Amino acid sequence: MDRDTLRRLGMLNQLSLTDVQKEEIIAFFDERESEAKAELDVIDTSDVERMVHVMPVFTVVREDVASQPFTREALQAGAPETDEGYWCVPRVLE
Amino acid sequence: MKYETVIGLEVHVELATNSKIFCSCSAHSYGAQPNEHVCPACCGMPGMLPVVNKRVVDYGIKAGLMLGCDINRTTTFDKKSYYYPDLPAAYQTTQWFAPVAVNGLVEIETSKGKKGIRIKQIHMEEDAGKLVHDIREDTTHVDFNRTSVPLIEIVSQPDLSSAEEVEAYLERLKTLLRYARVAECEMAHGTMRCDVNLSVRPVGSNKLGVRTEMKNMNSIEAIKRAIEYETARHIDAVENGTEVLVQETRRWDDIKGKSYAMRTKETAGDYRYFPDPNVMPVVIDEAWFESMKNSLPEFPEVKRARYMQEYGLSEYDAEQLTKSIALCECFEGASAVCGSPKDATNWILSEIMNLLNLRQMTYDMLTVNGKSLGELILLVSNGKVGRANAKKVLSAMFDNPELSPEKYAEENGLIISNDTGLIDKVVKEIVASDPKSVADYKGGKEKALMALFGRCMKTLKGNCDPQVLRKILIDYIAKV
Ligand SMILES: [Zn+2]
Repeated sequence: MDRDTLRRLGMLNQLSLTDVQKEEIIAFFDERESEAKAELDVIDTSDVERMVHVMPVFTVVREDVASQPFTREALQAGAPETDEGYWCVPRVLE
Repeated sequence: MKYETVIGLEVHVELATNSKIFCSCSAHSYGAQPNEHVCPACCGMPGMLPVVNKRVVDYGIKAGLMLGCDINRTTTFDKKSYYYPDLPAAYQTTQWFAPVAVNGLVEIETSKGKKGIRIKQIHMEEDAGKLVHDIREDTTHVDFNRTSVPLIEIVSQPDLSSAEEVEAYLERLKTLLRYARVAECEMAHGTMRCDVNLSVRPVGSNKLGVRTEMKNMNSIEAIKRAIEYETARHIDAVENGTEVLVQETRRWDDIKGKSYAMRTKETAGDYRYFPDPNVMPVVIDEAWFESMKNSLPEFPEVKRARYMQEYGLSEYDAEQLTKSIALCECFEGASAVCGSPKDATNWILSEIMNLLNLRQMTYDMLTVNGKSLGELILLVSNGKVGRANAKKVLSAMFDNPELSPEKYAEENGLIISNDTGLIDKVVKEIVASDPKSVADYKGGKEKALMALFGRCMKTLKGNCDPQVLRKILIDYIAKV
């Protein structure tokens, strides 16, 4: 963990951290990371298949048939503002 | 110093399914009212659960196999988070950790010869909605019809090095995906879109330079111009220090012929990818995998060679037919039924092409099935339907692909009559009604006979053997 990574994570999670907190967090993660790495390094994982899910489950699929069970009016009934069938949101421009 | 351009492409292709990827709303919104094809799932209402459309996975597998990829037999969906009003759930469901296809190879051919372009991965994902900014000044209007329409994103390795190679690569993708019937791939319709990642480096160096990305390019010509502009800009920056290159996303303005910085490029961390807990892993079992593998078409160049060898077609004809898988299927079906590849080729390259043109349809839109075309060709070669009437039958076959040519010809009086009694009757009537032409013909004017013949044929609605009619007509005139 370096300062930049922490800064980015803090930003993404909307956290404001003091310098002291930052130092503590970095030290904490560095320690844990090296411990975990050392533990993993002793295990041979060369022919272990990647785990895609913690449970032996898989999805069901549906056939590709189109339908239209909802009306636009019903879906937009709770919208703060609509106009000509569109939802309206505060103006965004690129 | 000499520089080379290093280009990687991310190509988004809309899959040709009926419904959306995770809900059953129609995936086709051309001409629809705004928000006509939406439901609580695709407009991001809380608590809605996605249900995977099997055909999307079918097409993901097919696309992967066509592009020489390995298929991940257990493939998973992940959430990619970002906030923008075109994404109602504030995350896109896509594939990050185990995409459907990986490690492919696409061969392209340019003026410099053949080259293999490595494919990093193909992942399945949902499209975003559309924002409209110019209806009113104070708000942005949101249309979710396109939200959750299925896409695949084809990510290449940075193996491309010129606009010419990029064009060849995109054309090859189009051809292969259209052959497998997984997508329309029409940039002008937005069913194929392209992000261009580009950097430059001194020739011989194996270190990549600073990379910029241009998003949502939607014509090959614009892509070519943008690549040339960006290459020059990068070289200028590296060589002359005109600016400091930063990793960023840029917008290409094709009218001004310039690119503009849009935002600093996101890294994967910004999107906080994590496994979507609402979609369980998709397990592609042996039967599913095999059925997809067996449904793939031959590559166009393989078909072309086979058509020349097996059916004795000319190179030109083989080239024309293999432009579209729809033409190929029609040809193969018709040849098998009528036994004449030459006739089948002629009907497709003349009459069918004409009708496609007339109806402003692309080759891929052809629905006439080969078996029916073969039956129609047999009706003509066996003298049961005249050629002009056969064209009418073909036109009806365009309207209804299920139509039986023979049944249709019978029901609409288009079968050639062997009823000489009827021909005699018509000949008598026409000859009696036009003594002038008869006299002209007897006076030596061959043209007058053609006029009489034409009128008889018209009265008989074309349903008679021209040879038989001619003989009866001449014999009768000789008697009166
Ligand atoms: Zn929906």
